[in-house]
Amino acid sequence: MIQEIAEKVGEHQGAEHVAEHGEAGADFIIHHILAQPLIKLPTIFGVDFTITNHVLMMWIAAAILIVTFGLAFRRRPAVPSGLANALEGLVVYLRDDIILPNLGHEAKAYAPYLLTAFFFVLLCNLLGLVPYGATATGNIAVTGALAICTFMMVQIAGIRKHGLLGYLKHFCPPGMPFLLRFILVPVELISMVTKHFALAIRLFANMIAGHITILALMSLIFFFKNWLITPFPLAIILFSSLLEILIALIQAYVFTILSAVFIGASIAEEH
Amino acid sequence: MELMTPSGGTIFWTVVTFILLVLILGKVAWRPILQMLDEREKRIKESLDQAEKTRIAAQKTMEEQKQIIEAARKEAQEILAKTRKTAEATKDEIVTKAGKEADQLLVKAKRDIELSRDKAMEEIREIAVTLSISATQKLIGKTLNKKEHEALVANSLKSLRGIN
Repeated sequence: MIQEIAEKVGEHQGAEHVAEHGEAGADFIIHHILAQPLIKLPTIFGVDFTITNHVLMMWIAAAILIVTFGLAFRRRPAVPSGLANALEGLVVYLRDDIILPNLGHEAKAYAPYLLTAFFFVLLCNLLGLVPYGATATGNIAVTGALAICTFMMVQIAGIRKHGLLGYLKHFCPPGMPFLLRFILVPVELISMVTKHFALAIRLFANMIAGHITILALMSLIFFFKNWLITPFPLAIILFSSLLEILIALIQAYVFTILSAVFIGASIAEEH
Repeated sequence: MELMTPSGGTIFWTVVTFILLVLILGKVAWRPILQMLDEREKRIKESLDQAEKTRIAAQKTMEEQKQIIEAARKEAQEILAKTRKTAEATKDEIVTKAGKEADQLLVKAKRDIELSRDKAMEEIREIAVTLSISATQKLIGKTLNKKEHEALVANSLKSLRGIN
């Protein structure tokens, strides 16, 4: 990462314009945030199936999850210890504080989805902080796809609980004046889409913001070209990195709890 | 801007990866873990219920024991009191009886002593009469008849008694 930026800055040697240095820094930042193609695959019906580094990170996250949970819970003693105990603590927390309060009796059906969402998002977030890693959740396509999954879960949950017609009636509550329906039904429909859209943007923006901050601070070192300045950006980068660990946890939590709330609202009885 | 343009391929891969992950983890992790948790919670609840039941039973037993001990103590006290009363009564009886017997013995002893004294007195009198007869005979060579002697002895005994 540092070599690359040094090269970029090197290209601009001689031309000492601040603006150009800034441009080099911006390129470097964008380069590190965008997905990099790893294996070129054909484009079918306008969809480019190329495996990018973000897709690879997702697969690594998935593999880590399967292996970790598989190994930790291969044997099931009455009293777990070590890794199984730690993971179980997280699972219990999610079950008791997120899944059960929002889903109640239906918790069993949706717990696997929400638990997977939490651990997958968390691991994708954290892998972005590992050297040579990339943040899959800092890709709008990834967060969008996850939001689509939640959107689909909400629709499936609602239809399963109330039937197709019963579910559609949710968009048109009874006892509403006839004329008001022409306003409220579109509002309900738009709200159904926007809340999931916001779900995608929230995760994406939070992950990308931290990286941009860190990369911008790192660029300062090369911008000033002075060894004396280095401790200050490094100190702030250290702080930001710690903050990013916190944000990685918080955003995984937020994504999960919002998914639970949306599904819970979808299966809720008519008031 | 490329940053905000979602790539269809990545969406596809994400959805596929995520759905597969939900299915695999559901089988490998979530179902066993949640089942394990439920089982453990059930077991803990049962154990607690059992402990509560045992505690109640123990308390009941203790209460019963306390009652039994209380009853035994009361009974013991009653027995003791009764025994004491009986003993007191027996003691009184014995003492009274002993006192009576002692009185009787005393009276009898007094009577015996009186009798013995009277008898001894009689004997002494007879001996004295005989002796005085023989002594007088020797002195005066004359024999007094028994009647005169007896009168004499009685006189002297009377004077003896007066000295006494």
